[in-house]
Amino acid sequence: MLKTVMLDNIHSDFDGYQKLINLNEEAKSLWVDSLDVKIKQWFDANLAAALGGILDGIEKDLNTVRIDHINDSVKKILQKNGFLAHFGYPSVLDTNNTTIKYLKLKPTDTRFFHQYVLNELFNRSELPSISNDLKKKMAESIYEIFVNAQIHSNSDFIYTCGQYFPKRASLVLTISDTGVGFKNTVSKRFNRAIPADKAILWAISAGNTTKTDISGGIGLAILKEFIIQNKGEMQIISNDGYYNLDENGEKTGNFAAEYPGTIVTMKFNTNDSSCYGIIDGNLSGDLF
Amino acid sequence: MEELHINVFNIVGNSLCVEADDGEKVFIQVSAALKSGKIVVLSFQNVEMLTSAFLNTAIGQLYRDFSESEIKESLTVIQLEGADRILLKRVVDTAKLFYKDPARLEKSINEIMGD
Repeated sequence: MLKTVMLDNIHSDFDGYQKLINLNEEAKSLWVDSLDVKIKQWFDANLAAALGGILDGIEKDLNTVRIDHINDSVKKILQKNGFLAHFGYPSVLDTNNTTIKYLKLKPTDTRFFHQYVLNELFNRSELPSISNDLKKKMAESIYEIFVNAQIHSNSDFIYTCGQYFPKRASLVLTISDTGVGFKNTVSKRFNRAIPADKAILWAISAGNTTKTDISGGIGLAILKEFIIQNKGEMQIISNDGYYNLDENGEKTGNFAAEYPGTIVTMKFNTNDSSCYGIIDGNLSGDLF
Repeated sequence: MEELHINVFNIVGNSLCVEADDGEKVFIQVSAALKSGKIVVLSFQNVEMLTSAFLNTAIGQLYRDFSESEIKESLTVIQLEGADRILLKRVVDTAKLFYKDPARLEKSINEIMGD
């Protein structure tokens, strides 16, 4: 059987994520079949990280996935960032140096991820305006999300992809996994059913951890605080839960179905001259 | 008391201290040294990247096994500056709260659920 699904105008917002979830819903029951994915109009390059996780899940059920009929400009970007190379297309050199590569890696591949962060984000000559302080804070946030997925998701792979927008002075990076999701982890910890949006809200509050013997629960809170100070944006999609933080504040919601794991999208403002490494007086001595 | 220098970079094997499992290796050494009555000087020289996950296991969980005053008297951190020092302070404060009030997390989930 051949099933055809359409991704029509996908942005990093509630509607865009809902459309990706819809694709997963339509295709998740396929078994030893063929899936044709058509991409019409726009597709945010960073969301290749989310689409990659979905399509891998479909291929795992012995289905053949083909991506065809892609809008030309989107096709070029998804070839430049390497995503379409996973689906039978040749790679294309990025002469503008604005793509941030699609990467699929095992949760244990920390050193490989480190190389990716250095090459794709910080050792690029196109980012001269970013202060070392800001680079360090961005890296800290990115690693916290990667390590969170590594510890909690129980996912086979972690996916990441991004895009740099020099004129808008912003850098977007999405990290996704196809693991258990916040809702299941938090519900299991407290032995009660916690809705996905509440589980996300709980997890981003400082000090809240599902671990019972080691303290933690700082990583997401650090990201949130940085995003506020940086005037950036972030989204967390986990199972059917949605969380968005931008200059208008926090927003949560629920999707009609579940994403098979977790997506974290971070949008950093690269035109930020804040000082992030300044220590106040009382911290210079007594740490403990 | 005898002073013992522990080099984080050497224990982890590289400048990237981000994984919880690597933090555990540091914890095992620091914990053993404290148990044997040593003064521990923990050096972060040449460490380029830290996460809270690493510091939670390396240092945060010391507060489960040792009192605040024991840690304060016997552990010193060197070569850790700026945002990394701020992060460690945060990890320490979180750990103190976590082990002091284990029921806090139950309360926090009740609050989120509006119970």
